Amino acid sequence: MAKSDTGIRILQGLLVFGNVVIGMCGIALTAECIFFVSDPHGLYPLLEATENDDIYAAAWIGIFVGFALFALSILGIVGVMKPNRTLLLVYIILMLITYAFEMASCITAATHRDFLTPNLFLKQMLERYQKTDPVNNNDKWMIEGVTKTWDKLMLQNQCCGVRGPSDWQEYMSAFRSMHNDADFPWPHNCCVMDARGSPVNLDGCKLGIPGYYNSNGCYDIISGPMNTHAWGVAWFGFAILCWTFCVLLGTMFYWSRVEY
Amino acid sequence: PHSRPRHPGTRTMLPLLLLLLATAHGLDKVQYTPSLASPTLGAQTTASTFVLEQPRCVFTKVQDNTVIWLVVATPEAVANFNNSVGPGAPERNFQRFPTRVPAYMTLNTTILNYPCPKPPGEITVLRVGSETSCLGDDKRPTCNGPLPSPGPYRVKFLALAGSEPVAETNWSKPITLRTVRQSSSITTMDSGRSAGMIALTSILSILFAILLAGLVAMLVFCGSDACGGSSTFSKPEAVTVQRYNTHHVYDQPAARL
Repeated sequence: MAKSDTGIRILQGLLVFGNVVIGMCGIALTAECIFFVSDPHGLYPLLEATENDDIYAAAWIGIFVGFALFALSILGIVGVMKPNRTLLLVYIILMLITYAFEMASCITAATHRDFLTPNLFLKQMLERYQKTDPVNNNDKWMIEGVTKTWDKLMLQNQCCGVRGPSDWQEYMSAFRSMHNDADFPWPHNCCVMDARGSPVNLDGCKLGIPGYYNSNGCYDIISGPMNTHAWGVAWFGFAILCWTFCVLLGTMFYWSRVEY
Repeated sequence: PHSRPRHPGTRTMLPLLLLLLATAHGLDKVQYTPSLASPTLGAQTTASTFVLEQPRCVFTKVQDNTVIWLVVATPEAVANFNNSVGPGAPERNFQRFPTRVPAYMTLNTTILNYPCPKPPGEITVLRVGSETSCLGDDKRPTCNGPLPSPGPYRVKFLALAGSEPVAETNWSKPITLRTVRQSSSITTMDSGRSAGMIALTSILSILFAILLAGLVAMLVFCGSDACGGSSTFSKPEAVTVQRYNTHHVYDQPAARL
């Protein structure tokens, strides 16, 4: 009797420890997802225009799931310490619901990250950057977002196009239909700028002389933060869920051993 | 018999005369082929412009007041190209190129603008197609306007003294400009599923299924009372202290006897 008593005590201790970890991870998940949702790199308009901004939806779910995990871990600690069968049953069922939501968030983040290819951003840039005749209000909003974001990206990161300035040469674009090819082989934001924001040498930029125009593409700068965002939500959530799985199994076993 | 009186120098004089005649109508063919500028330039060829190397140290034997013109022609016009037709003529009008005229002349500059030798490290190029303002202006037939189609085109340099051609280079190889594709031809849906995403989805689904199975088993088998028999864990009972009435507390009255 004493031996099994010790075993159960150890299980109790482990479950309390497991719940403490879940609580802390919940808070960390909330904080991480709030950071991602705040969009520190200003890339959200690009995603919004692709109509594929589900990695943000995954982050929003992550905020609420993290908070729920924290609250439920406290409930779990109380239920294990007492021990109270009803409380533990409530804990297990609510945890399973939270588990399902977090699972949805992880899978959404991982799946939609796979959609964010260079071609997607290229097509959107060509079709929306500096387009002058919006179809409707929604289109106008997206055009403004894409144009502002690309201008800021090209200026601040000294890059041009998705793969390079040749993107503007190889494909027809909304920009090209308004600005002829001889004057604007690529947008003037691709030129190396001086301190006042005007090109250092416009003719050199138009000729494509290295040093007077930005010859590298912006894709790395776009995909870097988005990858961090998506993998952060997906894999951290996955780690939490693996840990939660063990704690829940232990709680179920504990529940079956507790008398009313 | 009448011997033909021959002046002793006639033999040499005839070829000399012929040579003199040739140089008088004098088109000096310079062995230089115009070429595109270095490929390190990002805009070496665009959809409507291209960049040529300047003809430095090419026209070495011309006078200082010679004007060097660039001739741009369709490949079909190369065979019977007439050098004597001047730049302002209707057959050399940029605005009508290439549908109605086979060639045009532009980028005229004196030979002094192509000094020899070329300073090292300087980029000396000619951009064909950079003047957009005179694109539709018929009064500017020598406009260096953007080319209307991807080509191909062949170019050469022609040196004119006044209106007389004095030197020319070879015709270049055919230059083809870039053809733009429509942005709708870009495929965005061909991305496969990454291995990480498949692993994540499958593992999470399996774990969730195990948890649900565990929940069902837990409720079905151990629903109403604790499982496991003797190894159940019972709540530590609240210890209550019962008050025992010890016999010596009460004095039994003699009445009970």
